[in-house]
Amino acid sequence: MTQIDQFESVFRAADKPVPHPEEVRFERILFVTGRSGEARESRLDALRSYLAVLETDRGAHWTIGTAESPTDLPVLLKEVEESPPDLICADRGLQGVVSSMHALGTVLECLTQATDVPVLVLPHPDERQLPATTTRVMVLTDHLTGDDRLVNCAAAFTAPDGRLTLSHVEDAATFRRYVDLISRIPEIDTDLAEETLRRQVLKEPADAIDSWRSALKEAGHGFDIESVVLLGHHLDEHRRLVEERETDLVVMNTKDDDQLAMHGLAHPLAVELRDVPLLML
Amino acid sequence: MTTTLLPALLSAGHGAVPLSTTLLFTGLLVSMIVCLALEEVLHAKKSVIVGAHAVVCLLLGAAFHLLPFGPIENVFGEKLNIPVYIPAIDWGVIAIILGSSLFVDLTSKSGLFTWIALKLTKASGGDPRKLLWAYGLMTVIFSAVLNNVTAMIIVGSLTGVSLKRLGRERLLLGFLLVEGLLTNIGGLLTLISSVPNIIVGRAAGISFMKFFVAAAPFVVVATILTLLLGAKLFGIHGLRDQEERDEAAEKVAGFDENDGIESPGFFWFGVAMLVLFIITVATCSVLPWVSDLGLGFVALAFALIMLLRFKSEADRHYQALDWDLLAFFAALFVVIHVMEHAQVLALIGQGVEKIIGLGDIGGPASVLVASAGFSSVTDNIPLAAMLAKILQGLGTPADSALWWAVVFGANLGGNLTPIGSASSLVAVTIIHRQGLKLSFAQFVKHALPFALLQLAVAVVYVLLVLR
Repeated sequence: MTQIDQFESVFRAADKPVPHPEEVRFERILFVTGRSGEARESRLDALRSYLAVLETDRGAHWTIGTAESPTDLPVLLKEVEESPPDLICADRGLQGVVSSMHALGTVLECLTQATDVPVLVLPHPDERQLPATTTRVMVLTDHLTGDDRLVNCAAAFTAPDGRLTLSHVEDAATFRRYVDLISRIPEIDTDLAEETLRRQVLKEPADAIDSWRSALKEAGHGFDIESVVLLGHHLDEHRRLVEERETDLVVMNTKDDDQLAMHGLAHPLAVELRDVPLLML
Repeated sequence: MTTTLLPALLSAGHGAVPLSTTLLFTGLLVSMIVCLALEEVLHAKKSVIVGAHAVVCLLLGAAFHLLPFGPIENVFGEKLNIPVYIPAIDWGVIAIILGSSLFVDLTSKSGLFTWIALKLTKASGGDPRKLLWAYGLMTVIFSAVLNNVTAMIIVGSLTGVSLKRLGRERLLLGFLLVEGLLTNIGGLLTLISSVPNIIVGRAAGISFMKFFVAAAPFVVVATILTLLLGAKLFGIHGLRDQEERDEAAEKVAGFDENDGIESPGFFWFGVAMLVLFIITVATCSVLPWVSDLGLGFVALAFALIMLLRFKSEADRHYQALDWDLLAFFAALFVVIHVMEHAQVLALIGQGVEKIIGLGDIGGPASVLVASAGFSSVTDNIPLAAMLAKILQGLGTPADSALWWAVVFGANLGGNLTPIGSASSLVAVTIIHRQGLKLSFAQFVKHALPFALLQLAVAVVYVLLVLR
């Protein structure tokens, strides 16, 4: 009954998740810093300017969390747990590491894994200044399909005259592994299977992005929406895309549904993309 | 009537055959029918079962000097040396099935059928009752225009996906069963909708339009009754409030009817070709030259035109053809040809004549019910082929209700059991693929009220309208 399977496949492929664009507000923002005095104020001003797009008619309510010493961390986590903000912004390399080159820092490690609040990871102040605005925002994901929260948050951060890039990189190594397996099965035409599989793995995210493009336009967003779907090495391709587009903000999921810890790809991305602010959901 | 028609039937055997020989071949025919009924148990394809019987029949036919060996003379007086089993096959029927199967398969690549199916799904707003009517009508129309197996595959596959999307898995059995039953009703609509129609229609000389005009009113009535009964027996109701309607509408809105369309140009080409195909088939009997070449030529020509789109990969599409079915038909015609020469058909014809002899009302009614009963336990194609040959041998006029009794009985009999027709078998396969349990007895229990209702309406219709 191969024909039954054929038609079931056609109908399953036609069954697409419907995007649900929703306005996401970030009105209560917690800025966690290890600095004090004038340096802190200066950093806060730059951050507020960078995140001007979040300022609604009612204005955003900013609070400052201190992470000057290791004893501050439990207090900070308790505050976040008791009165969760809409967004946490924190510099890289807060406590626990000598340099921000190869790690997020203890504070960010804890914040990204102990809470569901979106965390905006800022480049280390000594290494990179904040961009002026969030004009070029890029969403990185390996499972864009049906992910409403990710795109809605990214849309909230994109300046009205900016550009939102929805990108999807399908892992080439995994793809090659399956094609290699198929090539050892005599009943399956390897060339046909490879071509069909490649087309399908790229088609689904491309279709999802197209649906989002229409939905966001219908919802009244004025920014441009760019679609990037390709097969390659996750880390290399994401890094290349971010650099080529001089991205002001990268948005990505960091948690799977069934675990609090950062998923496999999120952590290396967070470490690699250290020059760009990262919104980690 | 009996005494005047029987010699005509006997003369088809081209010579006297001892009764013992006729009984031997009758045994072979019974063996073939039993093996076909036990196809699933034997794990053997139809083509192999009938092919094996054809080989034995030909060998024994040659041994008993029953077969008309020697050259065949054509209308120009030219003598052709053709193996005896070649002219035994009704190549017109084979051409129709081969051509239309390939045409339907290639047209489906345009995304047309899935587009229609998804459009209807979205138009229903996800309301189960509207969905049942939409899918029911689609099943009937697809069965009529394409064939009942393809119709069941398309609509059944969509049913599985869409009801799961709507969270209505408990309705799957009812939907799939009703759709399976409707394929055999849709299969009655046109001359090319099912193989028994093609065989009987060709034997009786019934044109496409005549067939359609005669069968359409019954198809409409039977479809409505089946859907009403299905909704009642399986508890398929409409949505209760606006909240449910909004939720269901959002779920089906996710279906993208354009997803299966690779090229808009080919999509519209597919639409145009399908419309043209239906028109050509409908008017085939009055079209100059085409009427001489027949429906088989039309089907093959349209398949070839569609194949031009896939000229570099034509071989891939040949693989999609049901070669088991085609080989089955070819072998079946050979078996029936040998049976004809062995006087087996004449013997059966004597029994059929007794049934026909029950009168103008009892005759067609009995033929219809007996055909349905026979079709319910084994393939309806050998039955149709045999009865067509017998009725032809009896000199039955083209406007006789007996032809219609065979057509209605052979098609509707498929609704009595899961092995009664290929599309019923597909319906059960899809039901099992959905993880639902449905035994032979459970199918009969569910399907019996529908089948009895349809047969009762068919008997009344044949007697009142087609007699």
